[in-house]
Amino acid sequence: MTLNNGSLAADFGGATDAVVSLHDVKVHYPVKEGVFQRVTGQVRAVDGINLSIPRGQTLGLVGESGCGKTTLGRVIAGLVAPTGGDIWVDVNSTQHADIERLREIAPKDRTAADQALWKDLETNHRLGSMSRDKQSNYRRNCQVVFQDAFASLNPRQLVRDIVGRPLRVHNEASGEDLDRRVTELLERVGLGPQHLLRFPHQFSGGQRQRISIARALALNPEFVILDEPTSALDVSVQAQILNLLVELQKDLGLTYLFITHDLGVVQHMSDRIAVMYMGEIAEYGPTADVFNNPLHPYTRILRDSNPTLEDGAKTKKWDLSGTVPNPINPPRGCRLHPRCPVAKAECGWSVGDVLTDAERNTPVIFETISRIERSSEFRATVTFSEADAAKSFAKRIGTLAAHEALERPVRLDEKTVEVSFNEVSDAELQQLRDGRWTSCTRTQNLGALPEI
Amino acid sequence: MSKADNWLLRVDDLSVHFRSSKGVAHAVDHVSFDIYPHETLALVGETGCGKSVTARSILRLVPEPPGEYASGAISLRNPDGSVTEILTAPEKKVRSIRGDRISMIFQDPGKALNPGLTIGRQLAEVFGEHRMSMILENAGFDSEKPSRTATKIVQQRAGLLERGLYRLSHMNAPKALQKSIDDAVMQALADTGIPNPRKMLDSYPHELSGGMKQRVMIAQALACDPDLLIADEPTTALDVTIQARILDLIHQMQQKRGMAILYITHDLSLVRQFADRVAVMYAGRIAEIGPSAEVLASPQHPYTQGLLAAIPRPSTPRGQLAAIPGSVPQLIDPPAQCHFASRCSFAGAACHDVNPQLLTIGDKREVSCFRFDTASRIGVSSADMPSAAKLKGKVSS
Repeated sequence: MTLNNGSLAADFGGATDAVVSLHDVKVHYPVKEGVFQRVTGQVRAVDGINLSIPRGQTLGLVGESGCGKTTLGRVIAGLVAPTGGDIWVDVNSTQHADIERLREIAPKDRTAADQALWKDLETNHRLGSMSRDKQSNYRRNCQVVFQDAFASLNPRQLVRDIVGRPLRVHNEASGEDLDRRVTELLERVGLGPQHLLRFPHQFSGGQRQRISIARALALNPEFVILDEPTSALDVSVQAQILNLLVELQKDLGLTYLFITHDLGVVQHMSDRIAVMYMGEIAEYGPTADVFNNPLHPYTRILRDSNPTLEDGAKTKKWDLSGTVPNPINPPRGCRLHPRCPVAKAECGWSVGDVLTDAERNTPVIFETISRIERSSEFRATVTFSEADAAKSFAKRIGTLAAHEALERPVRLDEKTVEVSFNEVSDAELQQLRDGRWTSCTRTQNLGALPEI
Repeated sequence: MSKADNWLLRVDDLSVHFRSSKGVAHAVDHVSFDIYPHETLALVGETGCGKSVTARSILRLVPEPPGEYASGAISLRNPDGSVTEILTAPEKKVRSIRGDRISMIFQDPGKALNPGLTIGRQLAEVFGEHRMSMILENAGFDSEKPSRTATKIVQQRAGLLERGLYRLSHMNAPKALQKSIDDAVMQALADTGIPNPRKMLDSYPHELSGGMKQRVMIAQALACDPDLLIADEPTTALDVTIQARILDLIHQMQQKRGMAILYITHDLSLVRQFADRVAVMYAGRIAEIGPSAEVLASPQHPYTQGLLAAIPRPSTPRGQLAAIPGSVPQLIDPPAQCHFASRCSFAGAACHDVNPQLLTIGDKREVSCFRFDTASRIGVSSADMPSAAKLKGKVSS
C-alpha cells in the first residue's frame, strides 16, 4: 500500500533545499535514583525524529504538553544537544541523497571518494561537527522566539540593550549605528523610537512579544523557530502578532518552524504540519489535507476535541481514553494504542499494557500480584497471592481489546496466569500517499483511517 | 412569578475599585447581570477586563484593601424565597455560603490545591465546614450535641494528641468518624469519574496529572451540591483532549444536579458549545449580553464583532486576520466615555464624551453601544452620534 519506505527527512515539501534536516534525532534524559544516582531509565523526550524543514515555508509542529515539541525546537536551535542522530544544516536534495546513501554504509566500507564526501558534509553541514565559522553562521541564521515574553526578556535591561544584544555579540554595530539599527527593527515590528529607553515591564504582553520578534530578527536570520509565540496572548492581540509574522515572512523570505498546541493557529499559519505524540511524529502532511482528512487517529481526536466557532455539530465519537503512558517505558508497537479508539490486534499489545490496565482499573487485583516473570516484553507469567484474583485478572484480559492480540489463550493455573502476545515491531512513519505520512499501523494496512 | 423575577443570583450595578499608588483602578465598573437557576452564563473577555474580579466578588473574595466594593449589590436568593445580600452580610454568613451554595473552580488546579495535604484531607474540610451533622449521623453520633473533640476531628482541626486521647477514651468512635468522612469524600470523587477513589484519598496533588487535579477540584466544588458553580477558566491550563473531557464532565454534572454555572473564559469558541447565555466584558464593563447562539451568530457590539473576527478560522486567508487595532485602555481613573471608542471604527464624538448604558435591543439581548441609541436620550447633538446600526442577523424580538 505504501509509496516508499524512505524517511520523512527526504520529503522536502516541493522546495529544493532544507534549512535543517533531522536524521533519527533522539533526546533521552536519564532518570537517576538512589544515593549513588544510578541511572534507572531514560525519559524519551524526542525519540527518533526524521524531518526536513523546507526553505521559505512554515512547518507547524503540533502536540499536547509533554510530547517533546519544545525539546525538538530547542534541539534544532542548538540549545539542547541531541543524545542520538544528526542534524544537517542547509542541505539540498542532492546532498541529502548523499547523506542518506552514506549513512547506510559503515565507515570502513566506504570508498575513498565517499569518505571524502562524508568528511566534506560533516565539516560543512552537520551541526556539532561544522567548522567554527559555519557554526557561528548557523547561530545567526536560526533564531528563536520563546513562548513566555514575560520570562524571556531581561527585566533589568532597556529595550535598546535587549534588541541590540545580538548585534553587539556578533560585532555588527555599536554606538549610534546600533541605536539606528534597533530603531529600524522596532519600527519593523510596529514599535517606535520612543520605546528605546524603556524596560520590559512598561509594555503589554503583545508589545513584549513584538520586542522578542525584533530581537530574533536583529541578525537578518533566514530561519525563525516560533515556540508558542501567541499562547500567552489574547485573541485580538494574537491576531496582530500572527499578521505581523506573516508580513515579515513575505518581506524577508523567512522560514518558520511554528510550535504550538493551538490547532486553529497552526491551521492558519503553516504550509505543512507534523503532529507529535510521545516523542514521535504521528502524522505529517500539507496542513489542509491533514485537517480535512486525518490519517492518524490521534490527529482525528485532536481535531474533534478542538472547540470551533464553525456550525455543524460534529459527531464526536473519537476520544482518547485513559491518561498519557509513562514516557520512561512507552507502549510497544504504536505508542497510541492503549488509548486509541480504533486499536486492534496488530497495534502492539504487550504485557505492560495489561499490567497498566490492572493497576489503573482494578487496583485491588493488582495489589495481590506477588511475582511477575517476563521472558520478553510480550510474554510473562504473573503470580497472584490468591487464586480468585488470578481468575479475575484472566477474565479482565478477555474483556480488553488486547485479547485479540494474544498468541494463545491466557493460561490460568491456580494462582498463576500466563499471557503471551504476538510480537509486533514498533510502528514506523510511512508515506501513504504523495506527501502524506502516518505512523498508524492500521491506516497503513487499510490505506485509509479505520472506521470507529 | 415571571422569568425575570426568577433569578438565583443578581449582580446589580457592581463596581470594584483597587487603590494603588498611581490612582484608583476601576476593575469592575457598574456591572449588572442575573443568573437564573440551571442555566450556564458565560462571562467572556480578554486579560484584565474584570471578569475574574466579578467572579470573586460574588464570593466576596476580593481582598480589602486594596480592593473596595465601590457600589452595587450582589443578591443570592435562598430556597425559602428570602434574599441574602452577599456584600453586606456578616463574614460568618458568607463563609456558610462559600462552598455550600456557591462554589468555585479555579484556573490552575496545580495552584488551587494545597500541595501539603492529601486529597482526602482537603476534601474532608468541605464536609467539616458544611456537612457536620451528616458526617456525625453517618458515624452514629448524636448530631444535636456532639462532643467538642468529635467536632474538631470532623473539621480536621484536631491535633495528634487530641486524636490519640480521643482514641483511648472512645474505642471505635474515631474509626467510625474517619470512615464516615472517607465515605463522603470517596462518593464525591467517584461522582466525577475518578477511577479508584480510595487510592486517591492518600495521594498528594503532585502525584496527579493536570486533568485529574481538575477533576478533584470539581469534586471539591460540587461536594455540597451548590446552587451556583463559578468556573474560572477551568480548562485554560489543560490540553485540548483533556479540556473536552472536563467540559463534558461539568456539563454532565449540571444535567444531573441542576446547578447554575457562571463560566468565565477568554475563549469564545468554548461558549458556543457550553453556555446558554454569554456576557462579553470589556475594560470593566459589560459590552453585550444575550443568548450565546445569537450573540455569536450576530454580534452587535463592535468589540464582540472584532473579537470574533480575530479568531483564526480555516477560511481566513493567511496573514489577514481582522485584528482589533490599538490596545486595552488604562483602567486607572478612566474618563467618562465608551472605553472601546479609541479602537472602534464606528465611534462618533458622543462615544468619547458619554458613558454608554446597556440597552435592550431584542428579547434577552442587551448592548452597550450608542449606535443603538438616540441623540435625544443621551442629550447630545445628532451630529455627534456614531452611524446608527441596523440589527444584522437573527435577533429575536
